[in-house]
Amino acid sequence: MPKDPVYFTVVKIRTNIKTTILHLKTNYILLMKKILYLLYVCICMPVMAQIQSDDVQSFTLQNGMKFLVMEDSSIPNANMYIFYKVGSRNEHPGITGLSHFFEHMMFNGSEKYGPKEFDRVMEFNGGANNAYTTQNVTVYTNWFPVSAMEKIFDLESDRIGHLTIDSAMVESERGVVLSERSTGLENSPWRMLGEAVNATAFQEHPYHWSVIGYESDIKNWTKQDLETYFQTYYAPNNALVVISGDVKTSEVKRLAKKYMEPIPSSKEPKTVHLIEPEQTGERRITVQREVASPYMMIAYHTPDTRHDDYYALDILSSVLSSGNTSRLYSALVDQKQLATSVFTSFGESFDPNLFEIYAVSAKGIEEDVLEKAIYEELEKIKAEGITERELQKIKNQKLMEFYNQIETINGKSNNIGTYELFFGDYKKMFDAPAEYEKVSMADVSRVAKEYFKKSNRTVGILKANVED
Amino acid sequence: MKITAKYILLVCVALFGTFALALAQDANFKVPEYEKFTLPNGLTVYLMAQREVPTISVSAVVPAGAIYDGEKSGLAALTASGLQYGTLSYAKTQIEEELDFIGATLNTYASKESAGLSAKFANKDQDIVFPIIKEVLTAPIFDEEEFAKEQKRVLSGLERAKESPRSVINSYWDKFIFGDHVYGNAVSGSPSTVTTFTADDLRSFYKANYSPSGSAIAIVGDFDAAKMKNKISELFIAWEKPAADQHNIVSEAVPTLDHSRVLLVNKEDARETTFLIGGLGVRRDNPDYVAIQVVNTVFGGRFTSWLNDELRVNSGLTYGANSRFSPLKNAGTFAISTFTANSTTGAAIDLALSVLNKLHQTGIDEETLTSAKNYVKGQFPPNYETSGQLAGLLTQMFWYDFDESYINNFQSNVEGMTTEKAADIVEKYFPKDNIQFLLIGKAEEIRPIASKLGNVIEKDIKADGF
Repeated sequence: MPKDPVYFTVVKIRTNIKTTILHLKTNYILLMKKILYLLYVCICMPVMAQIQSDDVQSFTLQNGMKFLVMEDSSIPNANMYIFYKVGSRNEHPGITGLSHFFEHMMFNGSEKYGPKEFDRVMEFNGGANNAYTTQNVTVYTNWFPVSAMEKIFDLESDRIGHLTIDSAMVESERGVVLSERSTGLENSPWRMLGEAVNATAFQEHPYHWSVIGYESDIKNWTKQDLETYFQTYYAPNNALVVISGDVKTSEVKRLAKKYMEPIPSSKEPKTVHLIEPEQTGERRITVQREVASPYMMIAYHTPDTRHDDYYALDILSSVLSSGNTSRLYSALVDQKQLATSVFTSFGESFDPNLFEIYAVSAKGIEEDVLEKAIYEELEKIKAEGITERELQKIKNQKLMEFYNQIETINGKSNNIGTYELFFGDYKKMFDAPAEYEKVSMADVSRVAKEYFKKSNRTVGILKANVED
Repeated sequence: MKITAKYILLVCVALFGTFALALAQDANFKVPEYEKFTLPNGLTVYLMAQREVPTISVSAVVPAGAIYDGEKSGLAALTASGLQYGTLSYAKTQIEEELDFIGATLNTYASKESAGLSAKFANKDQDIVFPIIKEVLTAPIFDEEEFAKEQKRVLSGLERAKESPRSVINSYWDKFIFGDHVYGNAVSGSPSTVTTFTADDLRSFYKANYSPSGSAIAIVGDFDAAKMKNKISELFIAWEKPAADQHNIVSEAVPTLDHSRVLLVNKEDARETTFLIGGLGVRRDNPDYVAIQVVNTVFGGRFTSWLNDELRVNSGLTYGANSRFSPLKNAGTFAISTFTANSTTGAAIDLALSVLNKLHQTGIDEETLTSAKNYVKGQFPPNYETSGQLAGLLTQMFWYDFDESYINNFQSNVEGMTTEKAADIVEKYFPKDNIQFLLIGKAEEIRPIASKLGNVIEKDIKADGF
């Protein structure tokens, strides 16, 4: 859930963090030039001269705030991405949606820069910003001409260290968030269906509720809830800062010490202890909405990002839905014409989450016909595996995705942060090529067999007529 | 609501980018070196070597947009996507298999005035991709079977688009503002026309409009310019001109909007009202274009813009409010854009109008103007960071007939803005009277509000077309 309606933050960043059902981006692993180097070697391509091995600089302040810096002078701009390790998984009924609401409140005034000043000062200095909240993290993104970097540090440190929660701002922000919730539901059937599927697939774990939260919670949380939340999660030791662009690491370090280091650390927040019990039978959910033809989601429980099966599942996702030659597109949209679109999603996650298949029925096609056809394709992979050419195709596609990502400073920051948080260490980026290389055809069919089981799935259907 | 700013930059300004900002930082900045030449058949070619990553981006523009649809609304769009449904030497599946395997992307699409192609691939694969691009542009066969499948998908898509006000509101707007002028043509088409098309319609449209002489292709990325020049020349030299010249149909005058009108589009299950307020805007070649962007930044082009500040931050009526100019070659539109709950529709419209009134009454002070200038300059470079963005810039330069001097003068144009100039811009380009309103929502609830704003025309969102 971004601070602003944003077709725009994602113009160039292909978020590889599972944000909401609306932000379904293919699950890219974003790599840096170093990785390119490795991939190059793997694929026996010429090595580019400008590839260096130590592009990411790292340091940690005394209060525990970690910085990762990528110098890149291709444009006279820079960015600052601050990742807080808190998202809707840290909430509980009564305060569902508070992480996202809090993300909005971070723009509503602090000690030195009162209400509205954060945005006004940033824009006066040529900068722009946004923010988004997911099930796992809350991320603040600043984009600015590099000459404005000190001002950005000043602004960010003021709100991290000295946020003020103004009652009037809380009230007007409730209206904004209710409008955000409403416009999502108005404009996308996927939002509505996705919320229902998550609520069905997760019965105990907090992925049960949506990032934006229950309408009744949005209307009812108190200033005290916000203050407690801030004290618990908004500490320098619970944040990761990534900066890319036309900067010098020494200057970043100087500013970090000056602005961020005086902010005291807090005690580690309580870990999320809830574990989703194993699903023991298929679950189905139907949602009513005025649509011309049914929308379908099929979701399978899968492990968290650090599990050994991550890369095989990621490749499986691409085999199924990346490009017109992918298994599902080719069979369902092109040949059988049962669906008008189909895609899959398998994103980074701290806790075990879902591998999702999405499809829209073609006109006049009953959803059960489409559903059966999807299972046929999954069964084929379970029984016969994938071909060597398919596996090589996905590896080639990954390489192009990497190129696209590293072309921008935003892609760089987003991916450095993603690796550090979800894979445990930004350096794991450099293992990724080897990890992909290790995945065999047998691995892909093995994970298909392991996770694509009837008893492990939740099926959601959204359609107009739910009475028949 | 940085939406607006970024959106405008992408859609309209799509020009100054990297260069503009770099100018701000470095007075000697020049547009990256590129070469421009024209083949004997009239095709214009741009080449720009950029070696940051080992990829190549291609952008092409062809005078074959929806303005040439005639009675067959949607024909330009289906023809553009049909380019990939088989060519003289490649079946559709062959094209897909070749490109998917190497991770290359190829898109063909139509917009209001032009059709376009964009592609991106690893430079090592250029000898696989260029021959495909050449055939897609110059030798499509519009396979009957593939067309029939696409037609069904498009028909479903048209029906589904009406389920989301956001995805259709601009088509309603253009038709409402431009009326019977070809700029009112909806790119997407409508079910009643699309259902009648045959592959022959696509072939005729292609024959009449896909001409090398009105087209350009830009190639940006990691390559040797001299070799690329030979390669492109050889590939496209045989692309023949159509027998007849294209008729210039955009030069007709657009309608005059001499009274306020309201288009109320009923969406029975709407939980909120999505709306646009505005009227005619400017042509892309307007000499005040940069100044208009700076003023619009203040009014509705960024998060702290007056519109977003009032409608979102102060009142909590909406998640976002913005304004934008959408220029074309011969005319354009201006619109304030936002959405709000059914019950707050009247309040949000009143507030938007009061912000517009404030722009006219009080104007823009020095500090606000300085902030807008800094913002516009500071946010440019990331729009021209990639080879794909640069290729797009070059074809925009071709289409709208400007060169790098325009970009090189951008900083001084922004810097030269004064509060007096801003006041002139407001007076000249931001509507004050005869304002047009488009509301998509639950008619039963918002009809009384609509009728207070002007003459109401009602439509149902499920009705064919826009």
